[in-house]
Amino acid sequence: MKIAGNDILIQSLINEGVEYIFGYPGGAALHIYDSIFNQKEMQHILVRHEQGATHAADGYARATGKPGVVLVTSGPGATNAITGIATAFMDSIPMIIISGQVQSHLIGTDAFQETDMIGVSRPIVKHSFTVDKQENIANIVAEAFHIATSGRQGPVLIDVPKDLTNPDDLFDFVYPDKVHVRSYNPPTKPENHQVSRAVDAILASERPVIYAGGGTISSNASKELRELNDLIDAPVTNTLMGLGVFPGTHKRFLGMLGMHGTYQANMAMHNADLIIALGARFDDRITNAPDKFAPRAKVIHFDVDHSSVSKIIEADIAVFGQIKDSLQAINNHLKTKIDEIDNEKLAPWHQQISDWKEKHGLNHDLYKIEDDSGPILPQAAVQHIYQESQGKAFVTSDVGQHQMFAAQYYHFDEPRKWINSGGLGTMGFGLPSAMGVKLAYPDEEVICITGEGSIQMCIQELSTCSQYKLPIKIFNINNLALGMVKQWQDMNYDGRHSSISYEDSLPDFVGLAESYGHVGIKITKNSELKKGIAKALSIQDRLVFVDIYVDPDEHVYPMQVANGSLKDLWLSKGEKT
Amino acid sequence: MENKPGALARVVGLFHQRGYNIDSLHVDPIEDFEPFRFIEDELGIKFQVGEVSRLTIRTTVGDKLMRQILRQINKLIEVIAVSDEESTYLKGILRNENLL
Repeated sequence: MKIAGNDILIQSLINEGVEYIFGYPGGAALHIYDSIFNQKEMQHILVRHEQGATHAADGYARATGKPGVVLVTSGPGATNAITGIATAFMDSIPMIIISGQVQSHLIGTDAFQETDMIGVSRPIVKHSFTVDKQENIANIVAEAFHIATSGRQGPVLIDVPKDLTNPDDLFDFVYPDKVHVRSYNPPTKPENHQVSRAVDAILASERPVIYAGGGTISSNASKELRELNDLIDAPVTNTLMGLGVFPGTHKRFLGMLGMHGTYQANMAMHNADLIIALGARFDDRITNAPDKFAPRAKVIHFDVDHSSVSKIIEADIAVFGQIKDSLQAINNHLKTKIDEIDNEKLAPWHQQISDWKEKHGLNHDLYKIEDDSGPILPQAAVQHIYQESQGKAFVTSDVGQHQMFAAQYYHFDEPRKWINSGGLGTMGFGLPSAMGVKLAYPDEEVICITGEGSIQMCIQELSTCSQYKLPIKIFNINNLALGMVKQWQDMNYDGRHSSISYEDSLPDFVGLAESYGHVGIKITKNSELKKGIAKALSIQDRLVFVDIYVDPDEHVYPMQVANGSLKDLWLSKGEKT
Repeated sequence: MENKPGALARVVGLFHQRGYNIDSLHVDPIEDFEPFRFIEDELGIKFQVGEVSRLTIRTTVGDKLMRQILRQINKLIEVIAVSDEESTYLKGILRNENLL
């Protein structure tokens, strides 16, 4: 059967099992939108801004593990998607972005709504394709999905000139069963010599720490990680991107490490004799000063990406491959040496960690404050959200203090439940990504923990939530200012609060939510907190926007001292280790 | 690397993006495949004339950064193999690497 380029494109997406496509129409994409109109297998979600489309597709991808798909028009449609593509790129999230382009003969003439999208997006995509002729569309889509979802995952862009989707030109459509790109061959299984060296180092260690990041989630290696922990009983810390891959309530869990990581996680890393790094990339929010990082530790670095290993911290042993395959190999090898595993020798190490936790661990009982003489603590708000949702919700966040409080105080027992922009730190991510999660899991509780700064960066998506009836629960941790910037100004600029306040011009969030047809709740007192949050979560069929006024002067602690080692932490205002 | 539109821009862009400097650059399509038979053998592919190009870049950096540059270039989808005086990287296969 012969079909046109626009139908080839859409049928190819359907062949890939795409359920939702997030987008915004415009001139160069109109033929493609006509194809969408003529089919029923895939639902298009019309957002209010292209950034929202990319974040929604991203949230869908993070929650399901399947690639998120975005469709935008040329020019401003494409450039508006850039922030969301960069967000997905930094966190290695599989995404397909289809951007309309002006007609082939107009390319390079500064035509209406023409932007060199391949050029603009080049540094922030895993790969990109320009469609050159209709006969190649199916193969390009298949290659794009293959590249986006294998190896170290990431966004792949397909730029489609309008004339190549013209409904009048018909071509044969055959979707390839499988694709092979000869210059692309990511490792899957590790090599035996790497595995045996890693196992020897593990068996010799007395103070090991497992440091697991987002790659462990991308690789769906949560079960294998638990099995490793069952075998060697090592303490586990997670990066911001890794939260949930190891149960947050497990007795061996240290909490998050890094800039705002727990005291015990950072101290354990600093004093470890072996760091088992799993799909984590030692970025600057983890290591602090690299030359002072974990001075006594041997490092085993597991990663699918060669270029991540020994980029920042030199690895003593590298294990290349998908984390899932590598952990299976390690666990199997360990089982053959079960007599040599002596977990009792770790007792002093566990005792030391427990002492650190006792000394400066986070206070998880702040939700018990009911007294209205002081302001609501943002930490207490997150703890109430955790309690009232029984720790089972999907939680998306934006970027700033509320994000760190959510990461510290909401314990995730499963992977893919914590959805946040870790690498790029994109404000505006929380609400649209929650839409993608809710579409993927309509029967699950989906919570967005945000701040009054971040939420205003993509607040237009409240309208999309009305249109598609997405009953997300938004908790706005409202401290009347850009809290994280304010904290840095308090600590590094003698409290000169430059351009962080908009207190007099904030909208009435309750009224705003109601104007979109949602429910709004305002909470200003400790005594209202539990009841208000419980009420919001009890409303099943409506989006609820809960505006929680918190202490405007609170800081996030612990916090790494700039250019220090992992043991150099601010513990509270004016108090350092 | 594959002789495709945009492939050169990806390599050159990578140098700028990651803060590496290019001293000189030369690119042309490969006509004599004899020196590259080992790549064909290892990857199980057969090059045709006009399909692939050789790009030679001169840059002045230390060993550690050189290794990182090679690995970053090797990650680009259209790059088939990359080498310096000491190491050769093929897609998914690490040869002769001095460190790991």
